[in-house]
Amino acid sequence: MRPLGKLAAVAALSVLAVSACGGGGTPAQSAGPKTLRMTVWTASEPHLTLLNEIAAEYKKTHPEVAEIKFESIPAETYTTTLTTQIAGGNPPDLAWILEGSAPDFVASGALAPIKAKLDNAADLIPSVTKLWEKDGELYAYPFSTSPFGMFVNTDLLEDAGQDDPADLVKSGEWTWEKAMAMSAAVAKKGKAGLVIPDFDDYKNWTNLSTIWGGWGASAWSADGKTCTFNSPEMVEAMTFFHKSVFTDKAVPGPGTTVDFTAGDAAMAVSQISRAGTLKEAGFGWDLVPLPKGPKGEYAVIGQAGVGVLKRSPNAELATDFLAFFTNQANSAKLAQFFPPPRQSLLTAETLAKSNPLLKQEQLQQVVIEGIGKGVVKPTHTGQEELLQTVRTALDPLWKPGADVKAVLDGVCAKIQPMLGA
Amino acid sequence: MKLALYALLCVLCVPFVFPTWWMVTSSVKPMSEILAFPPKLLPQTWDFSSYRQVFEIQPFAQQYFNSLYIAAVVTAGTMAVAALAGYAFARIRFPGQNVLFVVVLTGLLIPSEVTIVPLFQMFHTLGLTNTHWPLIVVPILGAPSVLATFIMRQFFISLPGELEEAARVDGLGRFGTFYRVALPLARPALGAVAIFTFLHSWNLYLEPIVYLSSPELFTLPQALTQFVDLYGGPMWNVQLAAATMTALPILVVFVLAQRQFIEGLAHTGLKG
Amino acid sequence: MVVTEAETRAVAERAAARRPFWTIRRRDYLVGYLFITPQLAGSVVFVLLPLVLVGWYSMQEWNVLAGTFEFTGAENYAKLAADANLRSVLAATGIFSAGLVALNLTLALLLAILLNQRLRGTTLFRTLFFSPVLVSLVAWTIVWKFLLQAEGGINGVLGAAGIDGPNWLRGEATAMLSVIVVQVIKNVGLNMVLFLAALQGVPAQLYEAAKMDGAGAWTRFRRITVPLISPTILLTSIITVVGSLQVFAQIAVLTQGGPGTSTTVLIYYLYQQAFQFHHFGYGATISVLLFLIVAALTLLQWRLRRKWVFNEA
Repeated sequence: MRPLGKLAAVAALSVLAVSACGGGGTPAQSAGPKTLRMTVWTASEPHLTLLNEIAAEYKKTHPEVAEIKFESIPAETYTTTLTTQIAGGNPPDLAWILEGSAPDFVASGALAPIKAKLDNAADLIPSVTKLWEKDGELYAYPFSTSPFGMFVNTDLLEDAGQDDPADLVKSGEWTWEKAMAMSAAVAKKGKAGLVIPDFDDYKNWTNLSTIWGGWGASAWSADGKTCTFNSPEMVEAMTFFHKSVFTDKAVPGPGTTVDFTAGDAAMAVSQISRAGTLKEAGFGWDLVPLPKGPKGEYAVIGQAGVGVLKRSPNAELATDFLAFFTNQANSAKLAQFFPPPRQSLLTAETLAKSNPLLKQEQLQQVVIEGIGKGVVKPTHTGQEELLQTVRTALDPLWKPGADVKAVLDGVCAKIQPMLGA
Repeated sequence: MKLALYALLCVLCVPFVFPTWWMVTSSVKPMSEILAFPPKLLPQTWDFSSYRQVFEIQPFAQQYFNSLYIAAVVTAGTMAVAALAGYAFARIRFPGQNVLFVVVLTGLLIPSEVTIVPLFQMFHTLGLTNTHWPLIVVPILGAPSVLATFIMRQFFISLPGELEEAARVDGLGRFGTFYRVALPLARPALGAVAIFTFLHSWNLYLEPIVYLSSPELFTLPQALTQFVDLYGGPMWNVQLAAATMTALPILVVFVLAQRQFIEGLAHTGLKG
Repeated sequence: MVVTEAETRAVAERAAARRPFWTIRRRDYLVGYLFITPQLAGSVVFVLLPLVLVGWYSMQEWNVLAGTFEFTGAENYAKLAADANLRSVLAATGIFSAGLVALNLTLALLLAILLNQRLRGTTLFRTLFFSPVLVSLVAWTIVWKFLLQAEGGINGVLGAAGIDGPNWLRGEATAMLSVIVVQVIKNVGLNMVLFLAALQGVPAQLYEAAKMDGAGAWTRFRRITVPLISPTILLTSIITVVGSLQVFAQIAVLTQGGPGTSTTVLIYYLYQQAFQFHHFGYGATISVLLFLIVAALTLLQWRLRRKWVFNEA
């Protein structure tokens, strides 16, 4: 008798505990006030505070909105979670979209058109919206448009008896050859030379476009139909990079993580939005544009967009909120973390207010000019599969003595069928 | 001979202990020191601020409670479900027994990545996403509990056949036999089930991330992913501080409980 | 869910009233069904039903983003049979699982035997060997990724011994080895504890007797230890084989299936296709294959048990 009672008590307790603690409930989707959900990959406190501020302001004038929830999903599981939610019939109303997923999201028709609703859409810079457009319609707002620049550790360079890159920029001698030679000199003295933090695992190869852009090379042709990995420009650029890594040791090899922000490397190719990590840097640093390649000056930008899921039951309301979220005033607020895609906000003055660590000159050279002439990293429909295939095919390149041309031919052999399709 | 044994144990220990040691010590190192090479055994400067940050950035105490109560409920529920089913499959004869056992065993064979989408659809239809229900109900009744049922069956099968006879002589019915005789004998097997189940629930990673969206409902492994800086990079010291707080209490419980647990297991012998 | 008092009593009363129908055997049937009901119902709802759905998805072209959901019959299966990656994925899966199971079981048994010696301080060592089980996967993989770098801790130690260590995660063979070892160290404690418990259940008199008969250590191990702990060996090997085919997170963090496709095991390939490339139907098809492989392996072990497991009917 008694033991049975105990079992029953356990069961009852579990039920109680669950209902007490798990009572999140589902948002009412019908008549009453609505809840909007936006998936984001940031969990950073200052980011979320700003997002919630904007949301609170919107709610003041929109009583039909009960709550706007920002759902932080870790970057590694972001796509998995988003896919599961969409497949499971519970898509978020709005979602941040990684640059790499942009072509798939835009081409698949998963996003709702937003152009007509946006505040002053004419202000958006054409070169930065291209990735998010299809047939003249805009499907996501590129809230973060961050050019790549070169961070340099001036202390390390000086110790190795090297020139100041800022002077080289002025005299027009700031080239990749020079930058690699300087990095190799620093590396000889024990610290690391040049690092590409987003490529330190030798996997996320699209970041190499920050180098091969100087050779005028590209992964595939502009219409996306032909592989150009084995073009002479690309072979030359990759041979240069391979030599810098394995012969000159100017770049740390695969499987080595070097932290520029800790003062362990001479140079780092990175997005300017990372300047904040240098706030407490214990060394002298500078930000200069990417060096010139044989084909002259160029710039590369990294992006992130925010879009409305077409299958959201609140798509219309969500679009309205997106318009508010990205209007002139709020774009200016977001600019403190994410370089804005709006012409009117892209002045050294506005940017300086939100990026106190950078000088106006740096902002002008790297950010404003960068966004103006920037090309986005390689993108294509079926992006994730292409990325993966290229990464696999490129792996043989990352060892000493690799045959660059043969490896790159191999890449094209693998991906040409996927591009042609 | 003894000395050699100790030496062998010590050497074998290193790869087991070093990562944990690194985790604990790095949680009190400043960020810049964490990646220093070669790694230092002790921090050069002790910085406990990461432990404060853990609680500032996330509702960590609430999340700790979530993990704890979910794991406790799941463990209790699984023990009950598995003991009943394991006993029936091992010691009661009924038509269709073998077929049904195979049906149940299927759950052992399915990785959660395979069924996560259909399950998500199911719970969404019921309006139970962003609640703890999927994290409690599925482990107790679904695939994860099958291992427990399997362990219990294998244990009960090893008990002597005279057990039921003796119980009947004492005037006990089926349930009485199960509850009064078999279950007390099964304490070691239940111990194994409890450990397996608790750890499984405690470490569940993909499911909470997929199902839960409100920080106050998060579980610990999920909370660990939320300690990132402005640029999405992990705040290593804070993450490791949280990881340390996640692991150490359980380790202490294990140290306290292990003697009883292992010797208890040995006493009756977990026969497969 | 749980059988309540009232129910059992009702059964008993009914049984008393209609003795001709409620024979002991019939009553046993009912109790048996009642006992397994929670587990069985759970399996049907949370395992079989999703599995059937996965089977259904495997016959669709389902692009989650585009929202296309089209019946294509066996097309995905034809695609799988012709998939150029399949051979290398299956090979990687085989090597990974075989290596993992062999290393895990051997090490677990070795540790259990060492800890079963009458030594002071075994409790401490037991705890140390078990501790990785409790460390969060996130922290665990961060540490190992760091240790396995070209200039990481492992090569630092090897270098001190005058050995020039390889770049672990970048070589095909060493990457596979690393993933296996990291996974084994994380989880071997569970099997070790089970083995330890089984070893302590072996009566000491048996060893004494065998010693008297002049049996050496190896003979005693083979003739006494192995048969007596064989049920535990069966249990741990099933758990480990099944578990080895489900290792996902460590591969995702340490190698992402590389270099090349050398550590792309089936579960990782499934993840890539379904969640990264959005070929959900095709991912479901791979799930079906994975399920069949696990089922076949488990069935094989279960069949073989009669041959070598002591004390199993």
